[in-house]
Amino acid sequence: MISVRNIYKDFGSLRVLKGVSCEIEKGEKIVVVGPSGSGKSTFLRCINLLEMPTYGEVWVDNDLVTPVDPYLHFDVIRASNTYKKLFDAAKADGTPKSDEELSLDIIHRIKEEDLLKKREGKEYKELMKKIYNDSALDINLARRRIGMVFQQFNLFNNFSVLDNITLGPIKLLKKSKEEAEARAFELLDRIGLRDKANAFPQQLSGGQKQRIAIVRALAMDPEIMLFDEPTSALDPEMVGEVLDVMKELAESGMTMLVVTHEMGFAREVATRVLFMDEGLILEENTPDLFFSSPKNERLRDFLSKVL
Amino acid sequence: MNFLDKIDLFKYTVVEKGAYVKILTGLKNTVTIAVIGLLIGIVIGTLIAVVKVIPKHGPVSKALDKICTVYVAYFRGTPIVVQLLLGYFILFPLLNIKVSSLIVCIIIFGLNSGAYVSEIMRSGILSVDPGQMEAGRAVGFSYGSTMMRIVVPQAVKNILPTLGNEFITLIKETSVVNFVGATDLVNAFSYIGSSNYEFMVPYLAMALIYIVLVLLITGLVRIMEKRLRASDKR
Repeated sequence: MISVRNIYKDFGSLRVLKGVSCEIEKGEKIVVVGPSGSGKSTFLRCINLLEMPTYGEVWVDNDLVTPVDPYLHFDVIRASNTYKKLFDAAKADGTPKSDEELSLDIIHRIKEEDLLKKREGKEYKELMKKIYNDSALDINLARRRIGMVFQQFNLFNNFSVLDNITLGPIKLLKKSKEEAEARAFELLDRIGLRDKANAFPQQLSGGQKQRIAIVRALAMDPEIMLFDEPTSALDPEMVGEVLDVMKELAESGMTMLVVTHEMGFAREVATRVLFMDEGLILEENTPDLFFSSPKNERLRDFLSKVL
Repeated sequence: MNFLDKIDLFKYTVVEKGAYVKILTGLKNTVTIAVIGLLIGIVIGTLIAVVKVIPKHGPVSKALDKICTVYVAYFRGTPIVVQLLLGYFILFPLLNIKVSSLIVCIIIFGLNSGAYVSEIMRSGILSVDPGQMEAGRAVGFSYGSTMMRIVVPQAVKNILPTLGNEFITLIKETSVVNFVGATDLVNAFSYIGSSNYEFMVPYLAMALIYIVLVLLITGLVRIMEKRLRASDKR
């Protein structure tokens, strides 16, 4: 459903993600853990393009939301002038390799040494354009299908709780006010905050804000929900109420990708747990095996500190 | 002639000889120029501020940024009198636009105010938590839509006192519009003064009217601030 293909993210000279790939299927609940600064939040934010990956592609269903990354498409590399030059040069040298072997060798070399230039000839350009035209989806449309919950809640401070929830459905999904509000109240009932409908965000506790932020995302009927450390900014006694809402959401079959430090939640709810460190996914497994028999050295070290 | 006589003479000129019409016209023009000028200024200022804070990727946003920089440099770098003179005697005739001096004043004051409001608005936008923009984008709103629906309203709330100051400055700056022949308070009271060769009372009265205007605006801004802050605590 979501396919993250070999993404890199540079902030200036700092490389935060160093080639992360991940396939997320419908109904999966994936929890990402790792030390702070490991790139897990950046990874999450690259999925709905709050951060634009420097290289790599993100696909939502069959729609490409990032620009085309030529290194991920063999046919594009084969269409480039650089490839053609290398291929002809090798042929002229009388290489003993078969065409297929040679082709793969050259593609490998181009990828490793980052040889593609900005201009690579007409055929290359047209192929890039074709892939883009066939698959690209406007990110604003893609984001409607991806709900996001932030560490700092980020409710719209200039709108009431009800307006926070109905703004997107009314303006973007073109629902009628009545329809959007009916749905909003239904969702507010689910989290027991119907009486706060007319309150403003500043009047709510952290836990209430975060539950409403979850509802705001759900009101857009997303296919997947991203959670970026949803409980890290909460007072300890409010963590439970937010996790309960998330558990209920998981039981209802929502596809979820959660970055968190709550190991209990990972154990209980996750279908798959990922461990990230220094910009790479170092281990992924079912929660049972992830916690009982971690293979990676750094994961063992990490778990010994947090458990 | 003692002070009381001077007051009587002023009263006589204003009431009996009908100079109050001139004062009312002047007051109306002063307020009109400042109010419409500020409104134009807010629209232009917001647009410039958004151009300034927008992430610069393409050549279009860079070119827009350059244009805005030049615009702001001109309107902040030259006196308003110079802008009025250039506008009224050079620019408008050159473009073959024939409008009254009042209209020219409103437009020039609007353009001038836009330059100042842009800086105020920019600081207002930067004072809004970046998380608000991210949340708007994550829901699916475009950059511009999030800006106008979510960020700018919060920015305006933050800068309202400064915007009030800008309005007060505008009211006072309108006192130079008789350079291009528009009737304002200064013009009206100078007229009264020169009709009797007696300036003391008219000018004191003029100062009083300005003070009352400014105090009124200050009060209005306070009330608006309170209203807008209502969402903060209840």
